[in-house]
Amino acid sequence: MNNFIQIIIRKVGSLLATLLVMSFIIFMLVEIMPGDVAQMILGQSATEESVAALRESRGLNDPVLVRYGRWVVNVIQGDLGESIYMQGVTINSILWRRVGHSLILAFAAFILFVPLSIFFGVLAGVKEKTVTDSIISFFGLATMALPEFVSGVFLISIFAVQMKVFPIVSVIPIGESLFENLDIVILPALSITFVMFGYISRMQRSSMIIVMNSDYIRAATLKGMPRRYVIFRHALKNALLPTITIIGMNMGWLFGGLIVVETLFGFPGMGSLLMTAIKTRDVPLIEACVLLITVIYSVSTMITDLLYSYLNPRVRFAGGQR
Amino acid sequence: MKYFIYQLRKHPLAIVGIVVILLWIFAAAFGPSMLNYTYTQLDSDHQMARPGENGHILGTDSLGRDILSRIVVGSRSILTVALFTSIVSTLIGILIGFSAGYFGGLTDTIFLRAMDILMAIPPLVLSMVVLGILGDSTIFSLTLIVSIAFVPATARVSRGVLLTEKSQEYVSAARIRGESHFYIMFVEILPNTTGPIIVEATARFAYSIMMVASLGFLGVGLQPPTPDWGMMVIENKPIIAQAPWTVLFPALAIASLVIAISIFSDFVSKVLVHER
Repeated sequence: MNNFIQIIIRKVGSLLATLLVMSFIIFMLVEIMPGDVAQMILGQSATEESVAALRESRGLNDPVLVRYGRWVVNVIQGDLGESIYMQGVTINSILWRRVGHSLILAFAAFILFVPLSIFFGVLAGVKEKTVTDSIISFFGLATMALPEFVSGVFLISIFAVQMKVFPIVSVIPIGESLFENLDIVILPALSITFVMFGYISRMQRSSMIIVMNSDYIRAATLKGMPRRYVIFRHALKNALLPTITIIGMNMGWLFGGLIVVETLFGFPGMGSLLMTAIKTRDVPLIEACVLLITVIYSVSTMITDLLYSYLNPRVRFAGGQR
Repeated sequence: MKYFIYQLRKHPLAIVGIVVILLWIFAAAFGPSMLNYTYTQLDSDHQMARPGENGHILGTDSLGRDILSRIVVGSRSILTVALFTSIVSTLIGILIGFSAGYFGGLTDTIFLRAMDILMAIPPLVLSMVVLGILGDSTIFSLTLIVSIAFVPATARVSRGVLLTEKSQEYVSAARIRGESHFYIMFVEILPNTTGPIIVEATARFAYSIMMVASLGFLGVGLQPPTPDWGMMVIENKPIIAQAPWTVLFPALAIASLVIAISIFSDFVSKVLVHER
């Protein structure tokens, strides 16, 4: 148990270091690049004085290190600052709602693609070199590197344009919450499912094939156990282990996919907020979004790592003895 | 070569993949000169024309621009950027991964920490933020940033294959002969690791296409007037109900290219793994 705590402390430490380096690089990048946010708010016709006054009032004239330091101190206190572009709007007031939406979308995609890809991966692995396997493998290969917006466009044209069962854009009417409009989540979640399915089902298939060819499975079959029992009780337990790591590794793609899909559907999540922030060079908002994506991503990788070592006694005990 | 043909016969699907890739390369090289519309030409009488109308084989978009010629011209930039990206990221990956694995110790620790930082942020988010801040992407900046986002993956693979080779006797022999580190890494070890590295590079090619298309879609790819497949999809998304072909054909172009390359890279990995 002590070992667990040690691992977590080390991981959190490296996460904090990562966040610090990352946010500093973004700050500096925006600093050296042309494009002035004050000019952007006031428009091209603004006078020099008004731009200067606005810069002064937002504290944009201080040296970059001072601004960075001030920002870090505020973030530690839980204050993500105000959006520069949207006047007087605190980031805390807009960000969390958006994050909630994105997490719901990610969760919806997750409960779709994890069981689907594991099921079909196992099916293909058990029926190795049959027609079923070829079809599943080809489908996995085809979707493995398919951008989310491509599968999204196909889904839109089938389910929204032709059959008109789902909306083309995922917009929440003003005054309503996402829970009253859950149908807008389905197409975006399906679009993400495709690319994740490709990778994970292929991995599940190959780990299933390796396990099915191992001695202990042969022994179980020769003992006369029912095939179903052998597959689900004996083989699947071991074949799932690599898949868990793969799912964890793919969380990064999932977050990239979220941004793409949110842009395609106009879904009011964190990704589309980050897009707007980049277009308006709103540094505090960019920083907040990137910070949050990094934290969520790292925490999910951490959970997979812990889950893996919990499920795999070899890792757990080897770690415990040290 | 004979072996290659033998393998192709065993994997007929790979032939389809290779043919599609060759078709796209051919289209990118000679396509634009064979079409009767240029990619910026505005056919103002035929806006949102259906496929086949007035010689627009795949129809036109809301400004009356020919979809086919935009797709064909767009294939040039996406193929160039994706090809360079997979080459550059593989080369940087070899250089960094080999040095880290070869020297070990502190170098390796620094390498692993740096990669942890880069990997903590999803590659698409990283390139999108950096390209968005830099603004006005060019083929050069796009290639560079996407390559950097891919380096953690390629460097890890290179480091892994180096570590398996490092303990071989020929490496010790070269060391005893007094060869330089550089010579041992790149003249002695590298030729023995081409298999996994080529497999990695071809898989990288498919991911590069995916990444470049997604970045174009998000509006941080190549800037207009250069046609970009991803950008065509998002530009025309608002009219998908009235003119679905404006969105479907660019999407199909991306899908065909990506799937063909995935099939090809799967074939390459099967052949090279089989060899061992």
